[in-house]
Amino acid sequence: MQLSGSWRHDRRLSGGPADCDRAGKLAHGAFGKRPAAGSKTGRARPGLLPAATGAALLRLWQQAVAGLRIPAVILPPPTDILAELWRVLPVLLQQAVPTTLDSVAAFVAATLLGVTLAIAISYSRFLRDMLYPNLVLLQLIPKVALAPLFVVWLGISGQSRIAFATFIAFFPIVISAAVGFANIDPSALRLCRSLSATEAQCFAMVRFPFALPAIFSGMKIAMTMAIIGVIIGEFISSNAGLGYYILYASSRMETAAIFAALSLLCAIGVALFGAVALAEQLVRRSYGRQ
Amino acid sequence: MSVVEPDRYVEVVDASKIYRSGTAAAVEAVSSVSFTVPRGQFIAVLGPSGCGKSTLLMMVAGLEALTAGRIAVGGEVIRGPRTSIGIMFQDATLLPWKSALDNVLFPIRVLKRPLDQYRDAARQLLERVGLDGFMHKKPHELSGGMRQRVAICRALVYDPELLLMDEPFSALDAITRDEMNELLLDMWQQYTRTALFVTHSIREAVFLADRVLVMTRRPATIVEDLAIPFARPRSMAIGDSPEFNAICGHLRQRIEASHHGAAGRRSSGAARAAVGELAA
Repeated sequence: MQLSGSWRHDRRLSGGPADCDRAGKLAHGAFGKRPAAGSKTGRARPGLLPAATGAALLRLWQQAVAGLRIPAVILPPPTDILAELWRVLPVLLQQAVPTTLDSVAAFVAATLLGVTLAIAISYSRFLRDMLYPNLVLLQLIPKVALAPLFVVWLGISGQSRIAFATFIAFFPIVISAAVGFANIDPSALRLCRSLSATEAQCFAMVRFPFALPAIFSGMKIAMTMAIIGVIIGEFISSNAGLGYYILYASSRMETAAIFAALSLLCAIGVALFGAVALAEQLVRRSYGRQ
Repeated sequence: MSVVEPDRYVEVVDASKIYRSGTAAAVEAVSSVSFTVPRGQFIAVLGPSGCGKSTLLMMVAGLEALTAGRIAVGGEVIRGPRTSIGIMFQDATLLPWKSALDNVLFPIRVLKRPLDQYRDAARQLLERVGLDGFMHKKPHELSGGMRQRVAICRALVYDPELLLMDEPFSALDAITRDEMNELLLDMWQQYTRTALFVTHSIREAVFLADRVLVMTRRPATIVEDLAIPFARPRSMAIGDSPEFNAICGHLRQRIEASHHGAAGRRSSGAARAAVGELAA
């Protein structure tokens, strides 16, 4: 999982053939797989090690709950959670539908608004000077605290929750995309100009593809933010959704049910994040091929 | 198309560029420079860094406006970029998401010419510069020299009549640089274009050019216009001849003579280093 992606940019890597080797190593990203070229454990480790760690922690949890006699209402053992998940799965899946749809809607809205504003900022120095510092400032305030305001403004409807989730998902996208559009290789733009390219050509062939990695890294953050926004919205004002279910289960002290809902929420989060990552791969590949 | 005298293909008349930024003092980057280039000639503009030679090149390319004076190419006054000019920049400026072949074809896409007609030409260019096996590699899989080779092909693929090069090999190591210079001459002989090559290396300028224009700081102008007598095709071996050394020495003196103060000392140091390289 690499949040701050970039095209494997050639400006960082200059020089002779020795650099090819370095480029290959860098291409593995920030969490590079280090050693043991060829050895079996070395190759399997990126997948196996975190899975084994997770399993070990779950086992530790199971044994600690049993050994320390922790009441199930405080912390149920993983096996109980699994059983509960299986029991309430039909209800949970039903509740997951509005949560997922609202999250996706908020994500799409935030992406469209954020990228559009970032493009506007990249073309107008005035707009950038006017808006960018304020966007960064707004990004720093705990926006979760504003959730009740959205209830005041938009009521307890679904639109209110989507609006709030859009609001908090919007900032990472606009900031990341604005940085992406600002960091375009100036000599690539000069090359465009030297060929008398129109601004539309420049945008489609150079600016946008250059900014894509930054846009996608903003989109990945925005996807998780959108889910957070929707859950908070459901905490405050809802009678459906996984957030509502968690609150309901908590009021009845059904701790295992809370954990079951959390597990499903995790799965949805991973799936949506994965979808964005997959979209990134496809879009990047399409640019490489053309 | 107007009729042009063949010996005035590029015509630079009293070209000046003054940068004014806010309250800071105006900087005269290029001061009343005049020269002409006949069609098919290879010109090197030689000078220390910061002397305005790149600005001059960018003005010929139509990428920088003139403050005063006039520049014409092929009888037409330059008012903006034009497609009869090919440019190589200091770095290769390849698009990182495109393969070598697609980078070469980038100008064709921008100019909306039929890709199918140019694909073979692009392949042939890449083969000529020795990148047969690298056409589908991305820039990060290529070495610095390979990337500049791709950039040469990209500058030539759309048949420009004038080739402008802004210190294209200055970021490369000395050995690769010599290789690239030989390759460039080879390509230039093949495709015979008028060429304007900006460099701060005396040796490179003398090796490549038919004529060397020496440009200096303060005043940012041309102080010498020297014809280089070596016959073509040239090989790297001419660098060992006494005549080559004599020309380099003469150019170095011209650069030193026109410089005073810290800036001059620094550039003469560079010139001395260049001559030292020859002696070795």
